Amino acid sequence: MRAIWVLLKKELLDVVRDRRTLALTLLLPMLLYPGLLFTMGAVIAAGRERLKNEPLVVAVASDDAAGFLATQPVPPKTSYQRLSRAEGEAALKEQKVAALVDAADGAQRAVGEGRQAVLTVLYTKRYDRSMEGLDRLRPVLTALNDSALSLRLVEKQLEPTFAAPVKADLVDTDFQKDLGPLIASRLLPVILLVMLFVGALYPAVDLTAGEKERGTFETLLVAPVRPLQVMAAKYLTVSLTAVVSTLVNLAAMSATFGAGLSLGDEKASVTVHLTLGQVLVMVACLVPAAFLVAGVSLTVASVARTFKEGQTLMTPVMLAGLAPALLSQMPGVELTTLTALVPLLNVALLVKAAVLGTATPLHVGLTMISVLLFGGLALKLAAMAFENEAFRFGGTPALVRLFGPKK
Amino acid sequence: MIDSVGESAQREPSRGPVIELIGVTRDFASVRAVDDLSFSVSRGEVVGLLGPNGAGKTTALRVLAGLLTPTRGHARLAGLDVHQRPLEARRHLGFLTASTGLYERLTGREVLRTFGALQGLDGAALEARIAQLTQELELGPFLDQRCGALSSGQKQRVSIARAVVHDPDAYVLDEPTAALDPLASRDILQLVQRAQARDKAVLFSTHRMEEAEYLCTRLLFIRGGRVVAQGSPSALREASGQATLTAAFLHYAQEAA
Repeated sequence: MRAIWVLLKKELLDVVRDRRTLALTLLLPMLLYPGLLFTMGAVIAAGRERLKNEPLVVAVASDDAAGFLATQPVPPKTSYQRLSRAEGEAALKEQKVAALVDAADGAQRAVGEGRQAVLTVLYTKRYDRSMEGLDRLRPVLTALNDSALSLRLVEKQLEPTFAAPVKADLVDTDFQKDLGPLIASRLLPVILLVMLFVGALYPAVDLTAGEKERGTFETLLVAPVRPLQVMAAKYLTVSLTAVVSTLVNLAAMSATFGAGLSLGDEKASVTVHLTLGQVLVMVACLVPAAFLVAGVSLTVASVARTFKEGQTLMTPVMLAGLAPALLSQMPGVELTTLTALVPLLNVALLVKAAVLGTATPLHVGLTMISVLLFGGLALKLAAMAFENEAFRFGGTPALVRLFGPKK
Repeated sequence: MIDSVGESAQREPSRGPVIELIGVTRDFASVRAVDDLSFSVSRGEVVGLLGPNGAGKTTALRVLAGLLTPTRGHARLAGLDVHQRPLEARRHLGFLTASTGLYERLTGREVLRTFGALQGLDGAALEARIAQLTQELELGPFLDQRCGALSSGQKQRVSIARAVVHDPDAYVLDEPTAALDPLASRDILQLVQRAQARDKAVLFSTHRMEEAEYLCTRLLFIRGGRVVAQGSPSALREASGQATLTAAFLHYAQEAA
């Protein structure tokens, strides 16, 4: 144990003095979320404001359409331009107009005769300006319908409620104006898992492949220590770094969401205050996950002979780690007794459930047990790697030899 | 002069050879790097390992250091089998390579404390040993600087201190002066001379014939993983019929072709 403690002190000192590790584990999360999310909110708000004030042209493709529009005030910052249908469609495609309004010949007369007229609006979701044009036309179209309906009701001496016998009153009791928990449940699992890997991968590569490249690994192995003791110290260091990185990320994200974000729409503020219970549920799954990720990272990184080679090998590990995070965002993928057993997917789903307040003690327990079991397996793999001579000296064939006879 | 301090100073000098390779063979896949190699180094001896690149020198030294397991045969340090009793055997080993192998983000003092502690030294004994090495190797002006900021000569001196912090009986040096300027090489040569004066067993590989001639009491010329000639520098010169050791080296190397 004394040797492990001496080695651990050395590893921690080495890691703490590494600016790149500090930047990735502490500085990045502290700056990333407030910076990124506030910037994102500001950019979205500024973009919406800019679009609202931008002059837009709407093409009008027929006399009847022009006649309809002439009965209503023109939306602010908007002008109508008479074009043929073909010209209007081409202009819409080239983004010269935001939308096109068309109506069949006799449409106005049809409304006057008590029949229905169809007013066609061409737009595209591909362009923000076109969506803004549609938004500006919506009140005009509603007003056209309301005024025609009103005239008909007066003519028939009917009450306004006659045309709307059942009024739907939709109230979103979960979110009202606050989209915080919903957005946090989407962002947190992905970002926390990614940062868990970021926190583990770099030190894992630096402490294995980096040491081989710098010649310090050999120095360590000729000291009277067992390779397993060397591995244990490195494993604890990488795990601790990953845990610290994850907790700093969690704190930074909680603070950012706690402060609240604006998405440029007063009806869509994003605020989420995580309770102690929610945080504890996340910590309960993220800490064992850090040990799992550390074991996997250390095993893979120990194959490499150089830092660069280690980084290359870590790319698929990172992608493999990202997959469960993204899978957790698929519609219908929920935390169940079955998914709670799938490593890392269960962590992402539990974080999501914790934010939404739907995590159960059974799911927390199953997730922890599953992650710890797979973490133990990863530790066993790392131990096999360090006990294996081919692994200690690196090289891709080492991966093949891992399961061969121990030397 | 580096005096004995710490645990190793209390040990009784082992009788017989301190460094031994006994019938060691080491294969890498289909390549036999070392082939039934046997030799020993006793106290007070400085033995040079000579041979062309790929002769098996580094493999032999790595087997001795316990970094590689022999396919066949045994390696012993102070009578202890390196692979059966690795921790005890390595307490007798001071291993140095051309690479300084220092942690660049640690200071020299931190490196010495770490490796001293791994060798079983602690507390006042460790600090006294560090102070002694600091004086002997003139580490004082830079011992508390991070190794990454040191010159190559300063790094080499810290590296020497790291290798001998536990005052080992066996010095195994793998081309320690490769890539060093004459000034830094001098520190290595002084290390070997001090070790010999203190009755240590020294085995080192080198491509520098003048070093080998100057320092070694005995030379082993290996080729294809086997010893093809051995003896004092003058004996090797005579046996090969060459005037200089460099010429003798070429003679034994070309004999293989």
